[in-house]
Amino acid sequence: MISVEGVSRRYDDGARGVVRVLDGVSLQIAAGDFVAIVGRSGSGKSTLLHVLGGLDTGFTGEVTVAGTKLAALSDVARSRFRNESVGFVFQSFHLVQGLSALENVLLPAAFAATEGGGEAQAHEALRRVGLGEKAARLPAQLSGGERQRVAIARALFNRPKVLLCDEPTGNLDAQTADEVIALFQALNAEGLTIVAVTHEDRLRQAARRVLTLSDGRVA
Amino acid sequence: MRAASLRKLVRLQLSRDRRGAFSSSFGISIGIASLVFFVALGLGVGRVVREKIFPVDASLIDVVPSQLSIGLFGGKLDQDAVDRLAAIPGVKHAWRKMNVRVPAVSFYDGDFFGRRLRMGIEVLAVGVDPEFVKADVQLGDFSDPGPGKPIPVVAASRLIEIYNKSFAPARSLPQLSPTMLVGFSFPVDWNRSFVAAVAPGPVTSSQVQVVGVSDRGLLAGVTVPLDVAIRLNRAANADAATFTGVALQAASPSDVPGIVAAVKDMGLRVDDQERRMAENAGAAVAITTSAMALLSALICLLAAFNIAHALSAAVRARERELGVMRAVGASRGDIFSLVLAEASVLGVAGGLLGTLAALGAAAAVDLIAARALPEFPFKPDTFFLVPVWLPLLGVGLGVLAAIAGAWLPARRASRVDPARVLAGQGA
Repeated sequence: MISVEGVSRRYDDGARGVVRVLDGVSLQIAAGDFVAIVGRSGSGKSTLLHVLGGLDTGFTGEVTVAGTKLAALSDVARSRFRNESVGFVFQSFHLVQGLSALENVLLPAAFAATEGGGEAQAHEALRRVGLGEKAARLPAQLSGGERQRVAIARALFNRPKVLLCDEPTGNLDAQTADEVIALFQALNAEGLTIVAVTHEDRLRQAARRVLTLSDGRVA
Repeated sequence: MRAASLRKLVRLQLSRDRRGAFSSSFGISIGIASLVFFVALGLGVGRVVREKIFPVDASLIDVVPSQLSIGLFGGKLDQDAVDRLAAIPGVKHAWRKMNVRVPAVSFYDGDFFGRRLRMGIEVLAVGVDPEFVKADVQLGDFSDPGPGKPIPVVAASRLIEIYNKSFAPARSLPQLSPTMLVGFSFPVDWNRSFVAAVAPGPVTSSQVQVVGVSDRGLLAGVTVPLDVAIRLNRAANADAATFTGVALQAASPSDVPGIVAAVKDMGLRVDDQERRMAENAGAAVAITTSAMALLSALICLLAAFNIAHALSAAVRARERELGVMRAVGASRGDIFSLVLAEASVLGVAGGLLGTLAALGAAAAVDLIAARALPEFPFKPDTFFLVPVWLPLLGVGLGVLAAIAGAWLPARRASRVDPARVLAGQGA
């Protein structure tokens, strides 16, 4: 499902000069796997996740996700890849204020190249995360855990092949985090490939496989 | 990006920042309002100048004798000269004009459209080939009826306007329309004057009857058939062989320059005083309108800067949201289109508001002018002309100003790095 070969990523960090965040990372993730990527802050976890999701384009090396080679894609093709093949879940939820839970879930449909799922599919995604009754609520009217569930529903809306999660439980209390982790396990049990960057032991323990990044390399 | 989604996202953003949206639209509306107002005013005043004050026929050339007589033909405007003028390539018609070269007065004592009038005035008269004013003759035949019979005359439409707006109100006389005036008769004594010297010949009395009203009529007098002028001049032993002028009708306006050159080669002059006055007045209106339109364009430019500033701030504030959109599949083009669409809505709103405000202000000015300004010659019912394209231009320029202002912020928005903005903490 995911193939990473010799991927490096450098940043020009002004006074600090060129910083090598990823340094020849290679890894393989099979379809249906649930991988936790761990490591200290600054080890390159989030950068790797952004590379896998086509958000970060300044890398060298080969990255193939769900059969798509990311290095050669144009902006439009890469956007389509993000829209159709991957779903993102962020630590800070990143819901659009002013849009209801349903409208947030529908956001990917706004940028879809083809007529895909509509409101029925968005309702289904919300029901899948246990928020079927709160579709009309605004983000400000939801708890932290509910907001993250809406974000997960949004990530699931286009039925992605891979779910990419960046510290998905980082802003949640222990009980809510457990609920979200249980949701991930259920989704993975249905065959969804999940890659989660985390500091959380519980999420790490829930994963089938753990990859540790250290100084930009897989330890 | 789907149109329905675009509409929803645009509406969302504009509703979140109502104050900013109003401020941006208001700036545009001020610029567009002043632009539409002044352009409509310029067009309206220009129309009055062109159609009422100086109704110039672009294909009509007035030829008059040269003031200085040199050479074989000597600038003399006799029948031979008229024949040569008529033979100039491009000339369709040559209509002769001859002043009645003796003074004349009218002493009127009787009913004047329901009012008692007792008044004596000097009368100027010019004779013209009947064909020159034939289209405006509404009563009888415009030709010399012979001695002792009422002489048909054509009045100038502009003279009626001046009479109605200044002479009549000052003397409590009735307002006249061209229709009322046709058929009206008054006495004239030819070769008689209250102020000027008269010719040695006899005084001839006759009735004159208005048979039509024409833009081609003599402004400060009456227009009579050419044969009448010749007859009256002969009777007073005045010059009845040379003409005061010849009106040349060009086949098309493009023939006019060549005809003018040929006329000058013949030692004759073209009387273009009225045309030049029309052009000067038109130019003055155009320059004033252009200056005001330029000022309005500057206001639109300032509005565009305001939009650029407001949208730049909005884009900075929305970086994370734009990053989310990129994460769920928005391309750079989608983000660029989204910001431009927001600006376009502001532009349409500002353009519409501005255009409506301008039309409202124009209506208010017309109303105030109608009620507060005294009547004066050529005072129009409206000072404004609003062709169909003007409101469209107003809205279009509003959108253009908004898009121009939004261009750089939209580019900046489309280049937001989602990996950077989504990595941070936040709500």
